[in-house]
Amino acid sequence: MNRRNFIGIGLTVAASAAIPVNLSAVDFRKTKEKAWMEKDVSKAIKGLHGSSSTTEAKVKLKAPDIAENGAIVPITITSDLSATTVSLYQDSNPEAAVAIWTVPAGGVVDYSIRIKMQKTGTVTAVVQSDGKLYSAKKLVKVTKGGCGG
Amino acid sequence: MAGKTRIKAKEKDGIVTVMALAKHPMYSGVEAKKLKVKQNYITYLTAKVDGKIVYEVNSSQFFSKDPFLKFKYKGKKGDKITISWVDLLGGTNTSEGKVK
Repeated sequence: MNRRNFIGIGLTVAASAAIPVNLSAVDFRKTKEKAWMEKDVSKAIKGLHGSSSTTEAKVKLKAPDIAENGAIVPITITSDLSATTVSLYQDSNPEAAVAIWTVPAGGVVDYSIRIKMQKTGTVTAVVQSDGKLYSAKKLVKVTKGGCGG
Repeated sequence: MAGKTRIKAKEKDGIVTVMALAKHPMYSGVEAKKLKVKQNYITYLTAKVDGKIVYEVNSSQFFSKDPFLKFKYKGKKGDKITISWVDLLGGTNTSEGKVK
């Protein structure tokens, strides 16, 4: 083994050793920048998860039927799956992606947030577990838009 | 502009429920244009306990003003939670809370 090859191997080892560390703190905004700009929900799902075929099961999405104020729409996502990532989309705002969570090992999927919605639209939650995608959808009627409109 | 994150956490049967209220205007594109300010929102938020990440989210402009977050993790009483975020213009904030 000559010196040049040896350095090459050393670099590969260092790179592969660094990956697990990175996995626990993925900044999706940097790695999947394009997906955040997608206007279509299924395209955004594909951009962030690598696939857009989801099974509508095992995910619970709690959202109001009618949101009087689109500036504060409470959303809760729960699932018993041992998930790796959870993401949220809607189709009423200019861009589809709202948030993407990285679930730490042994983490509990029970996330509540408040989002803004410009008009009536469908909220979609996607949970990635074991390489498969599970989803839940809910239509939220917005009576007063929440994006300064 | 950006202030402290208020953190409330309670433990029950080994599961800690954390409620946090981050203070941030969360200007989306449309709002920023209207108010003639720069578009700015929290893009990345983490919660850590003893240096270990228990909550991690890449957020967007569609979070409400002063975003409210609620989540659970397996923990215990007395845990120290550190919540920190980064916004689009590079602003950061780190706040601490204790599990009751």
